[in-house]
Amino acid sequence: MRIGIDVGGTHTDAVILDGDHVIAATKALTSADVVGGITDALDSLLKDGAVSQDMIQTVMIGTTQFTNAIVQRRELSPVAAVRISLPSGRGMPPMVDWPADIAEAMGGHIYTLHGGYLYDGFPVADIRDDEIASLIKDLLKKSIKNIAIASAFSPMNAEPEKIVAAKIRAAIPDARITVSHSFGRLGLMERENAAIMNTTLLPFADKVVSSFLDALANRGLHSPTYISQNDGTLMSADFVRAYPALTFASGPTNSLRGAHKLTGLQEAIVVDIGGTTSDIGVLQGGFPRESNVVIEIGGVRTNFRMPDILAIGLGGGSLVLDEGRTIGPQSVGHNLVTEGLVFGGETLTTTDILVASGAADIGDASKVAHIPKTTVEQAGFTMHEKLDQSIEMMKPGGKEMPVILVGGGAILVTGGLRAASQLHRPENSGVANAIGAAIAQIGGEAERLMSYRETPREEAIKKVTDEAKGRAVEAGAESSSIKAVDIEETAVPYMDEGATRIRVKVIGDLATGGSS
Amino acid sequence: MKFIDLEHLNDLALGSVFLATGGGGDPHVPKLIAHEAIKQYGPVSVIKPDKLDNDAYVVTIGSVGAPTVSLELLPSIDDAARTLEAFEKHVGRKVDAVASFEIGGGNSLIPLVAATGKGIPVIDGDGMGRALPEAQMMSYPIAGIRPTPAVAFDYAGNTAIFEVSTTAIYERHIRSYSMAAGGMITAAEHPMTGEELKRSIIPETLSFSVGLGRTLRENRGQADSLLEPLQKIFADSIYGECRLIHSGKVIDKATRIIGGYDIGEATIEAFDGKGDNLTVSIKNEYLMAKLGDKVAASVPDLITIVDYETGTPINAERLRYGQRVSVFATGCPEFYRSEAALKVVAPRCFGFDIDYVPLEKL
Repeated sequence: MRIGIDVGGTHTDAVILDGDHVIAATKALTSADVVGGITDALDSLLKDGAVSQDMIQTVMIGTTQFTNAIVQRRELSPVAAVRISLPSGRGMPPMVDWPADIAEAMGGHIYTLHGGYLYDGFPVADIRDDEIASLIKDLLKKSIKNIAIASAFSPMNAEPEKIVAAKIRAAIPDARITVSHSFGRLGLMERENAAIMNTTLLPFADKVVSSFLDALANRGLHSPTYISQNDGTLMSADFVRAYPALTFASGPTNSLRGAHKLTGLQEAIVVDIGGTTSDIGVLQGGFPRESNVVIEIGGVRTNFRMPDILAIGLGGGSLVLDEGRTIGPQSVGHNLVTEGLVFGGETLTTTDILVASGAADIGDASKVAHIPKTTVEQAGFTMHEKLDQSIEMMKPGGKEMPVILVGGGAILVTGGLRAASQLHRPENSGVANAIGAAIAQIGGEAERLMSYRETPREEAIKKVTDEAKGRAVEAGAESSSIKAVDIEETAVPYMDEGATRIRVKVIGDLATGGSS
Repeated sequence: MKFIDLEHLNDLALGSVFLATGGGGDPHVPKLIAHEAIKQYGPVSVIKPDKLDNDAYVVTIGSVGAPTVSLELLPSIDDAARTLEAFEKHVGRKVDAVASFEIGGGNSLIPLVAATGKGIPVIDGDGMGRALPEAQMMSYPIAGIRPTPAVAFDYAGNTAIFEVSTTAIYERHIRSYSMAAGGMITAAEHPMTGEELKRSIIPETLSFSVGLGRTLRENRGQADSLLEPLQKIFADSIYGECRLIHSGKVIDKATRIIGGYDIGEATIEAFDGKGDNLTVSIKNEYLMAKLGDKVAASVPDLITIVDYETGTPINAERLRYGQRVSVFATGCPEFYRSEAALKVVAPRCFGFDIDYVPLEKL
């Protein structure tokens, strides 16, 4: 049996899964210290004694703690940003395009060194020992312990990052270092940004992971614990102490994966309807379709893999105007329980329409008895129309696709949806996120720019795949179960005809008896 | 406009991506370099071509190379100004002003970096009015301007001097130097007098691109609502006609490298799946669009693909299966409809077996 926990901004959801079956599910409020919310959720899961602690083999946690820390500029520690790319990039230091408030939170410790490589493996410049020595001297003088290192073309040759990291570690044994090549992907500035954001979260990550593990231990759970990352795969809890940034955007991913688990559908549109927005995503082969645009987190450009989500302003708290012809994007949000008509408030919301239509029994139905039937019908039509149009947009071309409704606002959909070949409303859809966390596998990814002239295509792809497998094993996968799920080849214009960027993603099952 | 300052850069970059018709690379890094350079050296003064002295000495400047490489090989704040200095040293005279190769993409910004660094003005105009894949397709060589003397400058300050007979040959040599230098270099080329510039430049595209970017920013939202403001700004410009030719989903996109170019096709199906699909042919840029088997627009007219939700233009290398897009077509400047220009930029020059028909006649 497994426990899945989703620690959101407002709610902490938790489920127990026995194989594919949801045995118990609960929602608690997220507490300021996080621990309280988790222990509350565990208490209500385990209270009837049907499941005992020793029956739980693993615990998986999904969390938005780290994304929120970046967005809200809290719990961030100063970071030394070390860039190895001179003589290229003069006058373009690390964090040059960051919003001022978060750049300042990093402390302005910027170092640029000679080194790195060109696309064909020729050195940009040789690494200089004197530069490294004066960097270390300065770090010691300023007692900086958090260091992010990025060098040009490190996804293809990480030697400069490794050398500098080793020398810093030798001089400062308790340094916390992130090397940018662990965030794969070409794009020096974005990769460097990811490394810096990861580094600034390291002290906080220690705290968060420890409090997760403490909360579990308090309730007698000592099984291996994993935390979900943005692509729907898992990392061991200790791995998160080193790579907290990999948890960014795991929320929407978990809800998509949960929808997949609850229905068994591999190819489907998932509509997660909350209080303010409906998030529409696409399952391809049971995993979220990824977005291709550069993702900004807290105003900083990164190269993280994120699910492709279309968010529209329609939820349980959306304002209904214009005799029901206009709905949203304004919403009363979590104030629905005071501002909605059925709760004695003054604002006509989608929830009020639902009650007026007789489709749901929420609050005081007499408060919406006066709403004209035409408005109720028109509003219902507008909601369904809005969802249909957005689903059409997200559908891969020309395919009939089923639609899975999840989230608290899913009750708004009372009729069918034209855009859906079938409509699924799985049980327990309110805790889809926690279920998504509970079923995650272990993944790994690698990317390199290879020349098919120098390395035959099969050999080149194998090389990159092996690197991705190595990463998956490091993250806790059972090596015999690992298979490549995605191979992307991008030819590079203007370069020699064989120059190709290869990206490989692998996924495998959780190795049993992993460390916790 | 008299000056380009920090507040114009986002709009210029956005407008330039629209005019880049899928090519030109991501202007994010050139924009950052221009931002840092203007912050350090001050705003760039802009001169309209007709205000330039006939005997002024002008050179065009920009980056040559593979956009993918610049993701790792970052430019430096002084590359462009040092390229100019190396050029001045080679020809033994001072340069009075710089002009752009192409307004489409990152090369709209590199001349600003050179101009502010050297304290000289930039000319309001460029050599394409868009982006095109090869140097001989610029308006300067079409109007008879020689490509050399030219100087190329790499990330480490190594320089190469070019003296060649034609722009087509120059194109081959500069590409190979760019490859040897890590895939991206800065070049100063096609030097000319003010009088020569006046008859060879596509005028006032720099200020137009800033205005176009402002229009895109102020009307950010679903592409349908962009059409009217776009038509308004294009109608009063050297471009003229602007049409929304299709909206829908990318259901197929395949490109491969042939002869150093990204060559392929994208297919876009209407959101409701009804009617003909639009096929867009790509050679670094979007060169031809066919609705079913009927040509909807072709090079040298401009074809731009934007994100349906926001109206943000999408480069060809970022166009992917599943994206929701709208496709706009815009007339090209009159210069490119001349016989001399069509010799190098007509659809047949790119391997399409059709004659060029101006957009407003389709």
